[in-house]
Amino acid sequence: MKILEIKNLRKRFGDTEVLKGVDLSLQKGEVLSIIGSSGGGKTTLLRCMNFLERANCGEIVVNGKTVYSAKEGEKPEVSPEAQLSFGLVFQQFNLFPQYSVIENLMLAPKLRAKGKAGGETVDEIRTRAESLLLRVGLEEKADDYPCQLSGGQQQRVAIARALMLAPEILCFDEPTSSLDPELTGEVLNVIRSLKDNGHTMIIVTHEMEFARYVSDRVVFMADGVIEEEGTPDEVFGNPKSEKTKAFLSVGMGKL
Amino acid sequence: MELFIEVFSKLGNGFIIALLLFALTLILAIPLGLVMCFCTMSKFKPLSLFSKLIVWVLRGTPLMLQVFAIFYLPGLLKLFVWPQMNTGWVWFDNTFSTRFIAALVAFAINYAAYFSEIYRGGIESIPKGQYEAGQVLGLTKKQVFFKIVLLQVIKRIIPPMSNEIITLIKDTALANTIAVYELIFEAKEFMTVDGLIWPLFVAGGFYLVFVGLLTILFGRLEKKLDYFKA
Ligand SMILES: Nc1ncnc2c1ncn2[C@@H]1O[C@H](COP(=O)(O)OP(=O)(O)O)[C@@H](O)[C@H]1O
Ligand SMILES: [Mg+2]
Repeated sequence: MKILEIKNLRKRFGDTEVLKGVDLSLQKGEVLSIIGSSGGGKTTLLRCMNFLERANCGEIVVNGKTVYSAKEGEKPEVSPEAQLSFGLVFQQFNLFPQYSVIENLMLAPKLRAKGKAGGETVDEIRTRAESLLLRVGLEEKADDYPCQLSGGQQQRVAIARALMLAPEILCFDEPTSSLDPELTGEVLNVIRSLKDNGHTMIIVTHEMEFARYVSDRVVFMADGVIEEEGTPDEVFGNPKSEKTKAFLSVGMGKL
Repeated sequence: MELFIEVFSKLGNGFIIALLLFALTLILAIPLGLVMCFCTMSKFKPLSLFSKLIVWVLRGTPLMLQVFAIFYLPGLLKLFVWPQMNTGWVWFDNTFSTRFIAALVAFAINYAAYFSEIYRGGIESIPKGQYEAGQVLGLTKKQVFFKIVLLQVIKRIIPPMSNEIITLIKDTALANTIAVYELIFEAKEFMTVDGLIWPLFVAGGFYLVFVGLLTILFGRLEKKLDYFKA
């Protein structure tokens, strides 16, 4: 079943068109990696999906329901449900510094449940938060503050925080790019365990080896379009587009 | 000995007036500054330009001038612009309370302008990622401001705010220019009437002790928010 369908998404900043009509679809439980050199529009695509930017035109369909549809010149509103179909893990973690780890996880669910009859109780939220911390291996850090954690630990908290809202599709924007090399492994392991649990994910990454073994499908983006798309073996093993070939031959070792 | 008691009781009264002016100014200026801050940050251009102009004038001219302006302006208006203005108007009859209120109004709007710039700096220094993380987690704009941004802003503005607040207690001395009987006014009386210099130094001691207390208080507040880095 198609969980996500993106149709002809376009985004301009001023006069520069950054997304030039992107089409993408995703099956439930599928893991998609997006690779490509910087400036290609990968971040912008994720930000449009998470409504941090409003696409100038195009459609976003989640589970058969159109959650965003813009024609040229329109700026549609985004419903809270649409917002919560997506989760986003940032390169810079963006944890809330004044809250402890467990409070970071509980804040949004608590605010959502507040004043709603039959909503989740604080105890239920806490139980869920604790079990997610266990899953990312940080149950002992529940009462620490973000400034006391390493980058890898902060990123794992950020992943758990995103999972608290049970998004249909969890997006990652270069989740390991601001980490020291020795800390990337712990984050990538968590992402892989999410795949084993059946989470649908879109991962923008420069970790080519990781993209190759974790993804069901790989997309190569360049200059605001999807240049090539296929299974990891197709894209990495036997790229068709010249741009993909050039990127991979330079990029494999360096990035 | 009698002289000592007289000096201390007079200066004590002056100090109470100074403290009253100080406290009321803060009570008014802290929220008014927030309003000014939101106005200068407004996306509605005319409003933001107008409020930036106001802040510029308030920060760009001497506070003493503003005290005079607030004190004399209504009187001048009555004299030249609107002579038939109801003479029963209480707020310019030159009693102590009207002079005190004129000083208070001038202080409050002047300090609100300074505070608004401190708030703006604090708000603008919060990384965009904090707002974005809040939005992606489904928080409303209001929730993002009150639950995520506000405490981080408070932490960042405590040092500059404590500076301004320490300046304020000393600035209350300016009210003596429109004969509000605060600390310096009383001390000057001893100088001009009795030829005594030392009460002025005693007055200085009052300020010094109070500033010491404020410093300790703000130090504690800063320590209280030391548990996180932002
Ligand atoms: N807010 C913005 N304003 C103007 N230009 C932007 C903005 N965000 C991104 N861009 C431009 O869009 C292009 C694509 O950026 P981005 O989506 O970050 O690419 P990638 O993530 O693939 O490196 C770049 O040329 C970048 O300069
Ligand atoms: Mg990017």
